[in-house]
Amino acid sequence: MTRTYDAIVIGAGHNGLCLAAYLQRAGLSTVVIERRHEEGGGINTEEPVLPGFRHNMHAQYMEFFDIMPMIQDFGLEDLGLRTVMPEAQAGITFADGRPPVILHRPDLLDRTHASIARYSKADADTYVELKHRAIALQQLFAAGLYSIPQPSGLDEQGAMIEAAFGDLGVGPQFLMKSPKHVIDEFFETPELRALLYRASVEWGYPIDGQGLGAGFLLFVMWTLGNWKLARGGTHTLAKAMTQACYREGVDLLENLMVDQVIVDDGRAVGVQTRAGEIRATKVVASNADLRQTLLDMVGEDHLSPLWVKRARAYRYGPSHVLGTPCFCLYEEPHYKSARWNEEIDRCFYTMVGFDGPDDTVRYIRDAYMGRVPKPAAGTWVNSLWDPAQAPPGRHAATGWYFLPSASALTADEWTEVRDTFNERFLDVWQESAPNMNRDNVIAHKLYTPDQMERKNLMREGDFSNGEFAPDQLGANRPFPEASNYRTEIGGLYLCGPSAYPGGGVHSACGYNAYKAIAEDLGLPSPVVAERGY
Amino acid sequence: MRDAYDAVIIGAGHNGLTLGAYLARSGLEVLVLERRHEEGGGLCTEELTQPGFLHNVHANYHTFVDLAPPVNDLDVRGHGVEYVRPEVQMASIYDDGTALTVHTDLDKTCASIARFSEEDAETFRRLYLEAHGYVDLLLGTLMYQPPMSVKELTKALATFGVEDRSEFLSVKLRRETINQFLDQHFTHPKVKAHLAFHGAVCAYTNDVAGLAIGFPLLVGKIDNWHLCIGGSHRLAHALWRDLAQHGGVMISDADVRAILVDGGRAVGVRLADGTEVAARKLVASTVSVEQTFLEFLEPTAVPEELRVRVKNDVKHKDWTLFSVHLAMTALPEYTAAEFDPDVNRAWVVNLGYGSLEELNADFAAVRAGQLPDPKPNAAVNSLYDPTDAPAGCATGLLRQFAPFAIAGGGEGEWESVGRWYGHRCIEAWRTYAPNLTDDVILDWVPYTPLEIAQKLPNMVRGDWMMGEVSLANMLDQRPLPELGQYRTPVDGLYMAGSTQHPHGFITFAPAYNALQVIADDLGIDAWWRHV
Amino acid sequence: MADIYTPEWYEEVRDAMNARVATMKSLPAGALQIKVEISGDGVSPYVAEGSERHFLISIEDGHCAWYREVEGDDPAVTLDYRFSGPATAFDEIAAGLQDPIGAALHGTIKVRGDMRFLMRQAEHVKVLLEAYATGVQTSWPLGKPPYSVDREEAARA
Repeated sequence: MTRTYDAIVIGAGHNGLCLAAYLQRAGLSTVVIERRHEEGGGINTEEPVLPGFRHNMHAQYMEFFDIMPMIQDFGLEDLGLRTVMPEAQAGITFADGRPPVILHRPDLLDRTHASIARYSKADADTYVELKHRAIALQQLFAAGLYSIPQPSGLDEQGAMIEAAFGDLGVGPQFLMKSPKHVIDEFFETPELRALLYRASVEWGYPIDGQGLGAGFLLFVMWTLGNWKLARGGTHTLAKAMTQACYREGVDLLENLMVDQVIVDDGRAVGVQTRAGEIRATKVVASNADLRQTLLDMVGEDHLSPLWVKRARAYRYGPSHVLGTPCFCLYEEPHYKSARWNEEIDRCFYTMVGFDGPDDTVRYIRDAYMGRVPKPAAGTWVNSLWDPAQAPPGRHAATGWYFLPSASALTADEWTEVRDTFNERFLDVWQESAPNMNRDNVIAHKLYTPDQMERKNLMREGDFSNGEFAPDQLGANRPFPEASNYRTEIGGLYLCGPSAYPGGGVHSACGYNAYKAIAEDLGLPSPVVAERGY
Repeated sequence: MRDAYDAVIIGAGHNGLTLGAYLARSGLEVLVLERRHEEGGGLCTEELTQPGFLHNVHANYHTFVDLAPPVNDLDVRGHGVEYVRPEVQMASIYDDGTALTVHTDLDKTCASIARFSEEDAETFRRLYLEAHGYVDLLLGTLMYQPPMSVKELTKALATFGVEDRSEFLSVKLRRETINQFLDQHFTHPKVKAHLAFHGAVCAYTNDVAGLAIGFPLLVGKIDNWHLCIGGSHRLAHALWRDLAQHGGVMISDADVRAILVDGGRAVGVRLADGTEVAARKLVASTVSVEQTFLEFLEPTAVPEELRVRVKNDVKHKDWTLFSVHLAMTALPEYTAAEFDPDVNRAWVVNLGYGSLEELNADFAAVRAGQLPDPKPNAAVNSLYDPTDAPAGCATGLLRQFAPFAIAGGGEGEWESVGRWYGHRCIEAWRTYAPNLTDDVILDWVPYTPLEIAQKLPNMVRGDWMMGEVSLANMLDQRPLPELGQYRTPVDGLYMAGSTQHPHGFITFAPAYNALQVIADDLGIDAWWRHV
Repeated sequence: MADIYTPEWYEEVRDAMNARVATMKSLPAGALQIKVEISGDGVSPYVAEGSERHFLISIEDGHCAWYREVEGDDPAVTLDYRFSGPATAFDEIAAGLQDPIGAALHGTIKVRGDMRFLMRQAEHVKVLLEAYATGVQTSWPLGKPPYSVDREEAARA
């Protein structure tokens, strides 16, 4: 029996769930079809090592909770979403025990100032000033994030950053700079530079990416320090979103791979699965990756030569490819650097193993070049804030390594990485935190990019689902002709991170795709006047 | 979450979600709170080995599909659950290379048994047909209603003259073991071993007096073993969806630490982070008796005598399960397929138990804290589930009867012997399926009895039935006589989990029965009872 | 002597039940609605093949208040029990040829409803069933069970 819905959403990642909830609320009968047995895609919390030790396998911190429309519109806080916002947000610690650099929440910038000023008062002033500018622009950023991107010329963009930062020496030429250039120009402290390089890369901006420097000022400086922890693990957000979908009446089919999007006379009319055909009278929206959607599910036969070319040219990695180490600990790390500032022991995110900016850059460039870097990591001990994430009196630590793209190593090489890299990192960790000896580690496991690719079809293990580069960002994402969530197939929309604004837990791809669909079908606009988007 | 709900249910296992969904469908505002980050309790499917390999960490066999009323009442299939009933349900492979297979086709099962004993095959056919006739009646009487006493049941069976009308049911079974039942009716040791093995996998241990009473019922549904496509956790999603679609809310990572009592009445709960949620009409606990009465309730809230009895008298299973989860690139090819090719398609395979004595000896060893030479049972869901492993691969599950505490070292010993014993279980499997070489096994992990207790603390001492399965701990005596009808000494507090009659397993029955009691107490229209 | 499944016959069944119940010491209080659903099996001449005849029995305080033929389910009536099965089985029970408890035990006749109550009232239930099976002299205008037609043959046809 063929089932028919008004709308089919492919993929129960958080963008797909977001879109489905809005569609169903707008009166469209909607089904979400998910290949895995769990909803949430990259917002995924598991117990991969030992019972009771929870680890976020992909997404770690949440920087958009305060502005995410779905949280408000669907009352996700009544449905289980709870957050913690640690005071000390991001820090870097050193093996020689010199002072850490710690960045705080926006309401505690005086502490951040003091931390940076230990090295350089000028840098402290600059950092705080840049944060204030970013905070002032938050409403604008949010509106931009939750809107269909509009193409804008370089002149316009240049004028915009000049207006915002011109008194700090920023001109249109900043549009051509890389994040490293911008960081180096603004800050002199090596320790701070090391931290900011990594922050840039973690946002998805390659450190040497020409043309992303202005983006560093706008987005990284905005989000840095806005990080929240989802109680119970990031998957809790997926649960709340799923529950919202259930309450609206969305159908969710799991363990069901969409093999094909059925195209009839240039229009997407349904999907083919092992369970048969599922038809859609109005909308097929794909939260799956771009190439999978266009080349595998739709098929080249239904696409114009230009679209085939564009899809093939879309790039994944190497700049945002991560491995997730999971450590089960007796006690949380105690850093040598804590003698200067004990907050480093209670910092949400702590960089370990980078002695300075050269180290960070070498590490990142190694990973980009397909070489396994010298171990170093960003780490979280979420059980510090949410004791439920580990058994009583124990701690669960998770981290991110930047690693080569999945295809850069052979299967055997990845096995080797899984078998050895955590051990090597522990040696490094112990240099900064002497209590991180082997006796403190109950067990550990490393989840590598090749596994991420297999688990979530996150190609190359690229967390951004498509490299962040000027030609794949903004109104160029995934390519100019597809940047408004619509495709050349009637009724087929993109709603995943291949679309603007890209990877990250903001649900903007799903929200904006709803806006595009609403425009096309005459559905209610989701814009809330007071919110402004 | 909001400040107050009509019903607050502790634990989002299948019982908690089932009770919640019924109450939500009845118009109550329902909140189900789960300590873990995932709903489902024993309905737990994880990629324990490698991405794409779905391992049922706990419940694997759904034997009450289409027998348990909630499956239809809550439209479980409508919520996306796909059940498959494997054609070859299970098998025993004996160490002489012979094998016995149980099929959904009775004739094939009897033909397989007849290769060992034609007489036993005929007996099995009669037993199956008889049991199949009364399986609905017995389930309705023994499982899907609040329990009667053994005395009441015995009296009714006598009044109806059931003994005269049946070959296999008899009131004396309430004193007999499954071994005795098998010895009376069957002749061939291997046939007996298979039937006893089947009971043991359902936690009806063959040497426990009184469990013979449940054996005909087990045989009546011996071919009703269903596999949940995509892992057992799918059922948890379906129940959760039913709850949510009817206005209920499930919240994970909500660690209940206290049941709030005011004037002898349960009025809410408090979470580990201090959050309090009020319950306007009821609180239901689906977690262990120990957690509920010793941890969540103030000592003054219940009679001291009950607390003492919970501490001293609540009985747990005296054996548990050690599991090995495997990611493989091939299906097992048993040498016994030369004898019976269907063993290669059997969902669950007993590897090696060929007589009741062997089972008895291993249970005796396990009760003494020893690890027997592995005779695991092997389940390969990928035979029937195209979604539980990457293409061309298979997910494997070995389960071995095992003690919780190991003699000499206690349960902590599992941390050091887990991999070693897992390896031995794999070796045992390999003796029957030599193709499962190291090359074929991509990855494997042990899952020990200690881990059961760590992951799901309501399974006290790894007790996956949440209370001993014996006649003394069944019906209205489970878990204690004063708690046997789902009510507690605290008004408005109900017990609705597997600590209650009938027991653990994916039966839905404790919740369904607690629901009857709650509906009576609260005057809820029992729409589900409409016949 | 009344013809099977006629109003006169139900009256006689009701009287037979009440006569037997009269001697019982304790009777369950309250009202119970029981539905009997007899499906035509191609053998019994009293229910056309593929169709069903439904009867409603009202028990009040242990006595049979009335017994009547009805069509389908009346949403206004909340049923407590439903007995369903093939016509031949019901015919044979009414003719005293088949044991009603055995028919339920072997699954020939399906019983739905509160089994605990049924078990607790075993004495009473047994008396009612015996009255049904043996309490009435029934006439069989279209032929009397056991039917001459071989049932298996009929099913095959």
